[in-house]
Amino acid sequence: MLDRLTPSGVAVPAFLITWSLVVILPLLVIVLFSFLQVKSYRVVYVPTLGTWESVIDSGRWIVAVRTLRIAITMTLIELLLAFPFALWLAKGCKSKPAKAIIITLLTIPFFLDTSSRIIVWRSILGTNGIVNTVLTSMGIVDEPISWLLYSEFAVHFGMLGSYFPTMVFPIFMIMSLIDDDYIQASSDLGASPGQTLLYVILPMSLPGVVAGVVFTLVPLMAAFVEPQMLGGGFVNLLGNSVNSALQELKYPTAAALSTIVVALLGVCLAALILITRKRFDMSTMFQAIRR
Amino acid sequence: MPNGQSALATPTMERAPAAGQAAGAVPDREGPARQGNVQPMLEVIDAVHAYGDVVALDNVTVTAAPGEFLTILGESGSGKTTLLRLISGLEKPYKIGALRLNGVDVSEVPAFSRNCTTVFQNYALFPHMTVGANVEYGLRVRGVPPDERRQRAQDALKLVRLADKYDRRIHQLSGGERQRVALARALVPRPAILLLDEPLGALDEKLRVDMQVELMEIHKSLGMTFVYITHSQEEALTMSDRIILMRKGRIEQAGTPHEIFDRPVSRFVAGFMGVENLMEATLVGLDGDDALVEVDGQRMAGAWSGRTRPAVGDKVVVGMRAERLHIADRPPQGPGLNVLPGRLDSAIYKGKYLDRTVLTEVGPIKVRLWDSSSSTAEQGFVWWKKADCMVMSA
Repeated sequence: MLDRLTPSGVAVPAFLITWSLVVILPLLVIVLFSFLQVKSYRVVYVPTLGTWESVIDSGRWIVAVRTLRIAITMTLIELLLAFPFALWLAKGCKSKPAKAIIITLLTIPFFLDTSSRIIVWRSILGTNGIVNTVLTSMGIVDEPISWLLYSEFAVHFGMLGSYFPTMVFPIFMIMSLIDDDYIQASSDLGASPGQTLLYVILPMSLPGVVAGVVFTLVPLMAAFVEPQMLGGGFVNLLGNSVNSALQELKYPTAAALSTIVVALLGVCLAALILITRKRFDMSTMFQAIRR
Repeated sequence: MPNGQSALATPTMERAPAAGQAAGAVPDREGPARQGNVQPMLEVIDAVHAYGDVVALDNVTVTAAPGEFLTILGESGSGKTTLLRLISGLEKPYKIGALRLNGVDVSEVPAFSRNCTTVFQNYALFPHMTVGANVEYGLRVRGVPPDERRQRAQDALKLVRLADKYDRRIHQLSGGERQRVALARALVPRPAILLLDEPLGALDEKLRVDMQVELMEIHKSLGMTFVYITHSQEEALTMSDRIILMRKGRIEQAGTPHEIFDRPVSRFVAGFMGVENLMEATLVGLDGDDALVEVDGQRMAGAWSGRTRPAVGDKVVVGMRAERLHIADRPPQGPGLNVLPGRLDSAIYKGKYLDRTVLTEVGPIKVRLWDSSSSTAEQGFVWWKKADCMVMSA
């Protein structure tokens, strides 16, 4: 069986070619497109830096910085929330039905449309929303809190639920693979629960953490629903800019902005690999979990 | 003689070839060992534990003297691993009278604060660390400075003859090497008690025998208290100062290897310790330990080794080891001999010896012949000494 799973001489090149055609080639086209111009709905095949100049002059690089900042902040927040949650789900939660229910609940963000999920928050966080109504009627605040909606806070808050499962699932799965014996051996050798977490559980769940960061950071860089619905025009991200550029048929602008997204992601992932490579070899990391 | 042994521990260490190298892993034995002559190193009093409805331990009491090699023997499900996990603190007992390590009650102390370490059955070596980091782990979590812990880890690796493997990764090691790394890792924090959970179970036959000898040498040179779990009677007999045989969460018999091997208290113990011929019998007479029993009308003289003394007429079990039986063409004469006529049946060739079945009036009896040319006759007599005829509780 394992013999038959060994890729033949054709499989690897076939995969590389298909992947290039489906993913990498469109990416290159996008990059190339950002150096072209569209005049009266027709593409002019003359290389120009015009689009890039206008992107930089119009201050859209601030949008890029903001996007990166929010994406990284959200990834860190999700990581801090998801790690203990995944640990509890994998090792602490002894009830099988409870575990099954929680895993099912975690998939809800995947089967509901983002816009319809997010728009609900408007009626909760708005100045006439539930939170403010309760707070004012109880006399905790004199007037409605305005920064609850149409603010960076609201955008972060709205993203919380959408990007939680993508962080939890990989970490949960890798933690489920960690044999309880390792945790017991650590404790048996005199490690406090904190030391066991730091020296055994954390390094052994690192592949899941890396996967979770990638799966969360990448879509966050392209997020546009939350900022559009909850940012109220104050929190413009690259995703929104790409969207509006496309709607205005400014294809080269959209291409240039997308290139920025891809470049920023590339830098982030390269940094992630550099940080983790020093102590952990990605390809053998999963192998190490096995006995 | 665990007490005598612990008093001798220090001179033994100096004589042992590995002692100099072992210095790093020698536990601090000054105080406890001296007092230990009166105070047990380990006391488990009235431990009760259950998994759901299954009783794993039923009022078990176990003590171990300092420096003792105590083996807990039993088949799977006898509760031996549960007992070990209670001692290490990895399992919390349902109810326990007392659990004392070196005189201190630790029943409420978490596993990581107990002064004992475990060699796990599957080793549980951390796969993301090197051999050295694994061995140092117990010192690292105690805040021992890097230089010292490296030194002590290397000493321990030397003790298990893996000095050159310090920088290897775990998956680069063979099964036997992993076994020894697990042993070194457990020894390095200098625990009061080393718990070993079937540590040789995963090794092949030859390696297992080698490791038995190695473990005994390490035990002797360190003078540490070992509590060893196994299902192998051969391992238990070879290594232990004392054996506790468990069955269904209870202690069936406790004693030295000699006592367990030669004086089993019950049919279960005899069967577990490999007594081939076991028969139900009725007690005819009992004078001191001299027992007279009747099996299918045949009278046999034996030695009583059972639990509570039975009354005449009670059901008992009589057992003979195949290697203590003899075959003769003519009935031998002499006092205190049991003789049964029989027909020689099948033979199983085992290389070093020959197992023959003799059909007698009391049923087939297995006889082990070391000299394969001893008898070829069809009819013959099986005979054995009274002392080799064990009479025990049913």
